[in-house]
Amino acid sequence: MIRLTIDNQPVEVPEGSTILDAARQLGINIPTLCFLAGVKENRPSCMACVVKVGNDARLVPSCSTKAVNGMVVSSETAEVKAARKAALELLFSDHLGDCISVCQRACPAHLQIPETIRLVAAGKMTEAIATVKENIVFPGVLGRICRAPCEQGCRRRQYDGAVAIQLIEREVADLAGKSYVPACAPPTGKRVAIIGAGATGLSAAFFLLRLGHKAVVFDAAAQPGGQMRGKVADKVLEADIETIRQMGLEFRGSSRIRADVVRREFDAVILAVGPNTTGLGVDATERMIRVSPKDFSTSLAGVFAGGTCIRAAWDPARSVGDGKVLAESVDAFLNGREYRLVIKEFTSTIPKLTTEEYQQLAKGANSALTVRELVSEAEKAAGRCCHCDCRAAHDCRLRIFAEQYDVNPRAFSGEHRRAFQVIRQPGGVIFEPGKCISCGICVAIATQAQEPLGLTFVGRGFDVHVAVPLDGALADGLQKVGAECVKHCPTGALALEHDS
Amino acid sequence: MNKHSCHSERSEESLTETTETLRFAQGDKADMDSFIGRLLSQTGREPAATIPILQGIQKEYRYLPEPALRRVSELTGIRLADLVGVATFYHQFRMRPVGRHTLRVCHGTACHVKGSERIDDWVRQQLRIPTGSDTSPDNEFTVERVACLGCCTLAPVVQIEQSTYGHLTADTVAAMLEDFRATRHETLADVDQVSGRRNGHAPEIRVGLGSCCMAKGSDELFHRLRETVKDFGLDVTVKRVGCVGMCHHTPIVEVRLPGGPTAFYAKVGPDEAEPIVRRHFKPVSLTRRLVRWVDRQLEEWVTGPKPFDHALDVHSPPVEAFMSRQVRIATEGFGAIDPLDLDEYLAHGGFQALSRALNRKPEETIADITASGLRGRGGAGFPTGLKWQKVRAAGNRSAPHPSPQTTAGPASPPNCGGEAVPSPMSSMGEGLGEGVKYVICNGDEGDPGAFMDRMLMESFPYRIIEGMLIAAHAVGARAGYIYVRAEYPRAVSRLREAIRVLTERGFLKDFDLKIFEGAGAFVCGEETALIESIEGRRGIPRLKPPYPAESGLWGRPTLINNVETFALVPWIIRNGAEKFAALGTAKSKGTKVFALAGKVARTGLIEVPMGITVRQIVEEIGGGVPNGKQFKAVQIGGPSGGCLPASLADTPVDYEALTAAGAIMGSGGMIVLDEDDCMVDVARYFLSFLKAESCGECTFCRIGTMRMWEILDRLCEGKGKRSDLDELLQLAGLTAAGSICGLGRTAPNPVLTTLRYFRDEYEAHIAGRCPAGRCKALIQYVVQDNCTGCTICAQRCPADAIALTPYQKHHIDTDKCTRCDVCRVDCPANAIAIESAGQKCTGHTHQEHLQPLGRV
Repeated sequence: MIRLTIDNQPVEVPEGSTILDAARQLGINIPTLCFLAGVKENRPSCMACVVKVGNDARLVPSCSTKAVNGMVVSSETAEVKAARKAALELLFSDHLGDCISVCQRACPAHLQIPETIRLVAAGKMTEAIATVKENIVFPGVLGRICRAPCEQGCRRRQYDGAVAIQLIEREVADLAGKSYVPACAPPTGKRVAIIGAGATGLSAAFFLLRLGHKAVVFDAAAQPGGQMRGKVADKVLEADIETIRQMGLEFRGSSRIRADVVRREFDAVILAVGPNTTGLGVDATERMIRVSPKDFSTSLAGVFAGGTCIRAAWDPARSVGDGKVLAESVDAFLNGREYRLVIKEFTSTIPKLTTEEYQQLAKGANSALTVRELVSEAEKAAGRCCHCDCRAAHDCRLRIFAEQYDVNPRAFSGEHRRAFQVIRQPGGVIFEPGKCISCGICVAIATQAQEPLGLTFVGRGFDVHVAVPLDGALADGLQKVGAECVKHCPTGALALEHDS
Repeated sequence: MNKHSCHSERSEESLTETTETLRFAQGDKADMDSFIGRLLSQTGREPAATIPILQGIQKEYRYLPEPALRRVSELTGIRLADLVGVATFYHQFRMRPVGRHTLRVCHGTACHVKGSERIDDWVRQQLRIPTGSDTSPDNEFTVERVACLGCCTLAPVVQIEQSTYGHLTADTVAAMLEDFRATRHETLADVDQVSGRRNGHAPEIRVGLGSCCMAKGSDELFHRLRETVKDFGLDVTVKRVGCVGMCHHTPIVEVRLPGGPTAFYAKVGPDEAEPIVRRHFKPVSLTRRLVRWVDRQLEEWVTGPKPFDHALDVHSPPVEAFMSRQVRIATEGFGAIDPLDLDEYLAHGGFQALSRALNRKPEETIADITASGLRGRGGAGFPTGLKWQKVRAAGNRSAPHPSPQTTAGPASPPNCGGEAVPSPMSSMGEGLGEGVKYVICNGDEGDPGAFMDRMLMESFPYRIIEGMLIAAHAVGARAGYIYVRAEYPRAVSRLREAIRVLTERGFLKDFDLKIFEGAGAFVCGEETALIESIEGRRGIPRLKPPYPAESGLWGRPTLINNVETFALVPWIIRNGAEKFAALGTAKSKGTKVFALAGKVARTGLIEVPMGITVRQIVEEIGGGVPNGKQFKAVQIGGPSGGCLPASLADTPVDYEALTAAGAIMGSGGMIVLDEDDCMVDVARYFLSFLKAESCGECTFCRIGTMRMWEILDRLCEGKGKRSDLDELLQLAGLTAAGSICGLGRTAPNPVLTTLRYFRDEYEAHIAGRCPAGRCKALIQYVVQDNCTGCTICAQRCPADAIALTPYQKHHIDTDKCTRCDVCRVDCPANAIAIESAGQKCTGHTHQEHLQPLGRV
């Protein structure tokens, strides 16, 4: 047996064990990307698993370094963390992926755009309606008056025109009409008063109702809608609002009330009053209500504010997004939890692409991946989406560690990088070499399984890349182990075509 | 942005390729099959034979045709994935057809500082090669970049097929191409073979026949001398000898009369063969003498008497200065012994050391080596005795073989007797796993600017093998390799011949010695990567520990030492450890061979005792920096080393002293730099080399070296930012700490030393100036007022950047100017200066000394 210490904790492991084995035994989590027990060991590549041994100036990869008696390992020092972070940042400097697609990042209402589009392209309109209605609250309205930052950001825009996302949203909304009502959680017994029946207030109401709370919306005007009214046809606005009514919205028009007063009767209050910020019983200037940026709470306990009363310009999509976030904050408050606003999920960004690379991008478009005929305008538009959101966004190890180590994906960006490429095995694996970190796991799996052709490393140095030998087709390279390789690929380089 | 998508690269060559594929689809397929069959019977079919197989195919077809690879895979069972992985890793292998002739431009350190990038541009211009391509439109030449050809004293160097051309300039590039096209360049066959029997008492005419001497025509000279001697009917031996080291005087001829005076001649061309012979000998037959005399009178009457000023006075101060401080141990017998004459080697004490070692206990030999203080000469300086001891002590149990690379073949040594395959079983009948050990001589001298090992292999092959055999006996090994890099064909031929002779004479009956030719990867100088390539795989270094002493080739204990280390061993055993230890410093004993090149008057190969100072080498031995320029720095230790500024030139050559100064001893490359060398450019050059040679396995080296190079490139382009220096230092620290092997770990050294000692140059580049006047983007060529209007510059300018204005001051269009330097050098009035933004650069007040075309 070998005895060593890691971070001052003693541990005993069988001879032949690595430092990583010992760390795992102690429950110490060391990130690994290129390591796969029984398949690829002792060939360190990613260097995410580095640790310090004794006073050695080198940092060593724990996955491949054998434990030795008396070893003193440090895995959590500032130096080690900085090195792991740098390793990840260097990998990102040569990694072409959008964890979250640009359109989705741009959408202030956090619509699940790529997923919605895929459902439309696949003809799954019921699910598409659900996705739209459950997230966007006012799809009919926004499908007409939103300035569509999603389309501004769409990667296809510079190539041959943005995907018509707004059109898709509109058609889905119109198709749904008043028919679809999102399910709500069982009643919690809590009651929330929302002052202001504009986009923000109604959106907040929507999400609170979904969570099972009772929402009562007040407005000085006789009808709900706020600034949305008059900008679209009444029946469009009504259709969207009807959905919320069917969820249990109670609207009290022609009411002018104070937050401090209504607070006594409700468990929480949301102020979504727009520019009329005075005389509400909370700290405010003439244009803005004072709120904490962390959870949107005002000077009065249990009273929250959001929308244009804390921000200048009116943007309907933004207002919907604000309402969602307010609802989350209030929900946390009602459940005695602390709320922290998540500013940004980690995402990597594909840099500017060349014309050839745009052509590659189009190879991953929905229309290339589906055998259906795309008939309606929405379907045709949906067919043009290139699925630049990463298929592995939820289980990509590179992304998980990037979040853990607070990585800046642009820290070491430079002029030279991999080329963007999409290689497909129709109906099977989709390979994006631009996301590959050259870990070698797929090559090892293919070799172990004795794939006749398999995969290999081509070239060396910065330009080294994984490919099927002699430009063979992906389907020929991975006849047996495609799914296995996808499963173990630590990034989104290898994915199955029909992962959403 | 680089694009490594195969698709875009293929289109350009697709027409040639389709033709090739068709060719192989038809009748030539049968030829290919039979060729491959013959090849495989030579190399064997095991995965370990992968590299020799690929080398065999490439030798035949000049590239690796796809059908050939598929056929090999079918016949051997080696996976196509592995063949492709190996073929694309090593630079020697080409996956696409190339032009009829391969022209390689050397970009080693010495060549770089002497303007190899300009040579590259001029060659491409001359051959009208379009941008983005490497092959001339008529398919005559394909131009390749090569990291270092090891002919540093001839810098800048180009190699076309087997012919080497040195001292190239803009004017001589065209002449070089014509010369190649006009002459038949077959190496005269017997330069690498054992000479016939000769009379030991006859006078000798000695000629050096190392690769760089031959690049200057010494092979032709050698044959002319032989012809003349035969013609005169003389009993005189024209003898090939090993390297003398005085590259600034080569080709050298020595005429040695038994009991009589010795005469030396320098810079001798083939036409001087007869005059030299005539000076010392008369034709035997009277008729011949008469005929010769008449010929000569006629010649002189027609062309006038030809002055003969090649005599070299070896007692003159410059030669004394070059030679007197040297102590010849590895190079003992230099200039006197025929590299391939075994009897001569024996007569001069050869194999006495081996005899001594075989007749005593291995432990005694190891004790000797330890007591001598010998440290590995490959660069790291690990105590040799200690390494031998470790290998000897390594257990007889089978060491666990490291997990093979993902594309590996079987993890055990093959058991057939092919060319490149170790046969531990066949040579001794011992079972596997029973104490099998190997000795490997690392001749993969890849440092640009280093060519000591090439010289040793070409000049003293028997000595190196003797050293290996002594080591083998000491550690208990019965099989081994000499690993020679692809760029040293002469060394390979000589070593092969030496092995053939030794085998014939029974010296190798207990040791199975083979040569493994590298395939073009600097990283394979790293011992574990070297082992990987012998095992038939991509040259990816293994994590250490375990060290090769414990688990090396095929998982067995393996001793790996550098060529020079082995070359020092026989002398130590013969003369005793104390004599070796008496030389050098407290911790760095004995001698070291250095390749002195760059901006120094007397370039060459020298062997000096440790402890001599850098200044003594540069100024006394080397004769200082020529052309009135100022000595700026010395680059020591190649890409893993550093730049020692002139202010630290009194640092002694000693492992620890050099490390303390931020450099390393390295393998022996020493390039002198002067005021015209930009230190930022030097750092960029090394990083460019390293990023091209990185194996690509680990993140910090693969991506870190690229990012460091990008920063340096931006600095040299005048696009540097303040934050660049901090980022450079950060990347340097990370790459040094987080890389798996020595290449990555020492990659930051050039940057770190230049930043340490020449930070002002970095700052200047950020401010948009290149003080040395080197970085193209930061300099401009400006005609001065003393221009006479002679129009030479306008005529010579390859970029049409100077309008022809006779009798008027000329003007250079900066936008068109490519900074090739031709105008400044050719201006008879010295009227063109290099200026940077608002500031004249230092230096450049003297005309640069031009060297003639090397082949003459």
